[in-house]
Amino acid sequence: MSHTVLVCDDAIFMRTMVGDILQQAGFEIVGEAETGIQAVEKYKQLRPDLVTMDIVMPDMGGIDAVREITKFDPNAKVLMCSAMGQQALVVEAIQAGAKDFVVKPFQPSRVLEAVQRVLG
Amino acid sequence: MDPSRYAELFLTESQEHLSAINTSLLELERTPGAEAPVAALFRAMHTIKGMAATMGYQAVTEIAHEAESLLDGVRRGAIRTDATVADLLFSSADLLERTIEATTEGHAAPDAHEILERMRAMTLAARATPPRSMASVRVANSDTRVSVTLEADTPLKGVRAWMIAQKLATLARLIGTEPPEGALQAEQFDRTFVVLLEGSAAAEPLLAAARQGGYVEAVEVTPPTASATTVAADEGDAMLPRASQPVLRASGAVTAEFSVADVTAAGAIKAQRHIRIDLRRLDTLTNLIGELVIARGRLQAIAADRKDAVLDDALSHASRLVSELQDEIMTSRLVPVWQVFDRFPRLVRDAARSLGKDVDFVIEGKEIELDRSMLDEIGEPMVHLLRNADDHGLETPAERRAAGKAPSGRLRLAALRDRSSVLIRVSDDGRGIDRARVLAKAKRTGLVEADVEALGDDELFRLIARPGFSTTETVTDLSGRGVGIDAVATRVRQLGGTLELRSEDGRGTTVTARLPATLAIVRAVLARVGGETYAVPMTHVSETLELPGDVRETVKGREVLSLRDDVLPLVHLRELVRLPRQRDRINHVIVLEMADRRAGVLVDRLLGQQDIVVKPFDAVKDGLALFSGATILGDGAPALILDVNSLL
Repeated sequence: MSHTVLVCDDAIFMRTMVGDILQQAGFEIVGEAETGIQAVEKYKQLRPDLVTMDIVMPDMGGIDAVREITKFDPNAKVLMCSAMGQQALVVEAIQAGAKDFVVKPFQPSRVLEAVQRVLG
Repeated sequence: MDPSRYAELFLTESQEHLSAINTSLLELERTPGAEAPVAALFRAMHTIKGMAATMGYQAVTEIAHEAESLLDGVRRGAIRTDATVADLLFSSADLLERTIEATTEGHAAPDAHEILERMRAMTLAARATPPRSMASVRVANSDTRVSVTLEADTPLKGVRAWMIAQKLATLARLIGTEPPEGALQAEQFDRTFVVLLEGSAAAEPLLAAARQGGYVEAVEVTPPTASATTVAADEGDAMLPRASQPVLRASGAVTAEFSVADVTAAGAIKAQRHIRIDLRRLDTLTNLIGELVIARGRLQAIAADRKDAVLDDALSHASRLVSELQDEIMTSRLVPVWQVFDRFPRLVRDAARSLGKDVDFVIEGKEIELDRSMLDEIGEPMVHLLRNADDHGLETPAERRAAGKAPSGRLRLAALRDRSSVLIRVSDDGRGIDRARVLAKAKRTGLVEADVEALGDDELFRLIARPGFSTTETVTDLSGRGVGIDAVATRVRQLGGTLELRSEDGRGTTVTARLPATLAIVRAVLARVGGETYAVPMTHVSETLELPGDVRETVKGREVLSLRDDVLPLVHLRELVRLPRQRDRINHVIVLEMADRRAGVLVDRLLGQQDIVVKPFDAVKDGLALFSGATILGDGAPALILDVNSLL
């Protein structure tokens, strides 16, 4: 059975791209979230195998969302999506419970490697 | 990956973010120091930067990046949002917009040098010197060294290295790293760093854990040795990231509408996926369904002659399906008006500023939906009306105070639904149109008889909507070139809509455009006059009547129709199309209604209702200003569509 993924990003552009990359690799996108609050809600509903999480989102940022999600499920597998120049935020996200990170601009092979590491 | 697949998506989404940027900038200007608009600005810039970098749009990325850095300074409180900063942000937003346009169209990007430099200078000035401190790590001879070499192109290698150190630390107690943690995160190493772990740890799990860290080219585990070394470091402090940089917490107030819609529909998530379609495809579909509607009309005409129950049954089934298909296609073309309206606040602000006026601008009914192509068409006329209001309607603060009004003028753009139409209304609380001046000019030019003493709203509108009629003495950049309201009225009429004006002296002006919610296919009453068929859009038909010949009366030389308690002016369509009148025992009347005006149109024969497909029509200019378009009927014959506005 293919792994299920929840894609969280406030930009449709990024959601589409991450979704395409993962779908082509055989993952099943079961949900998308545009805000941190949505990400947490949807995680609880959908219990996906993997979450890709943008750091900067409206309502509740990605880091707080990771914190909430790992509080709910300590085994949650969250992959952070960051941009160059966000060192400190990525560090904080990982301290908050994210398992790994990828850096925009995305290269499909790198994203899939990171996903494998997270699901490892 | 082929980025051109995403170019369209990039453009659309960037435009949405640009309009959010302008909205937030206006908000920030109104309330300097507010956190919510800064957070929204930062996020929008950040998103554009990420998308542009992915697309390889260097120039866009650079501007967004510098703006983001500047906004980060604002967010941290290091930069105060005074007028200079606000202006710089406005300029950078404009530059960003132009650069995005140029880049996506394949032109050279505009010169960004000056604005980039100003942003850099401001960001740099605000950046405090980081605290420095001494740190040293004592390495005992009993420690294990794990030396990790990362790949050459590792992104955020500092974080990557730190993460690998953290992973290793789950296997043995972490003593320290080379370079120390702060320098490690700050990427102060080439490709190789060392993790020191206490005691003698098994090499295999360490190797595996390090490799699991990602982007690892080589790992080397050195068991405890006899020599003891001290690694000293004079580095920027191994600061805790939490303390040094605040986490972005976007305010919930900014986009509260996001959270409600999707969360509730857990089961419907898969059904909600969107795809973007080229508008030209939708146009083709619209044309095809239009043809199909015409073909259906033809089939219905044939079936009506045959009187075959089986054929009727099959046809009515097919006919329902065509209607459903038509509804679906028309609905898929609808977009909320904010997609165009959201750029207006900026425009109004700039115009008001250049005129030295204070304008309080509100938009209502942003979520009302309109056909995509109609929305594109209506944008420009609305800009015209807004500029008119800015320029002529609203007074300066001093004039307003003198008139006993609040110093800032109110300008309102509202969209509302009214049955099958959408109303778009621009209203101001300014001085109103100077009727005396309009009347004087109209008399001078012979448009109005010399003995007319006052103008009603409708006459006023008809006068100022005449091409070239302007009372403005000074032509400004904004409006007043005498191509004002007539251009707007013409455009609205071409879209199958009507324009109305209400003006009250000293109290303000309201202009309302009534548009069909969907384009291209409208329901119409068909009528026969002479040998021709004419169509009247149902939007303005209140009823059709067949009355005995003697109900017509003449009042003050005008022919009228007494209908219940009302007296309606009568219009002979035969006369309008220059045919001789006909004597009939029965009057076939279409009663038109628009706002509070009504009139009856006499025709030879009523044919019934039908969906008609409005075809482009460009004979309006010099011919009779009586028709707003044309259509093809089921039997292939053309029919003209009456412009109700000109009849009333």
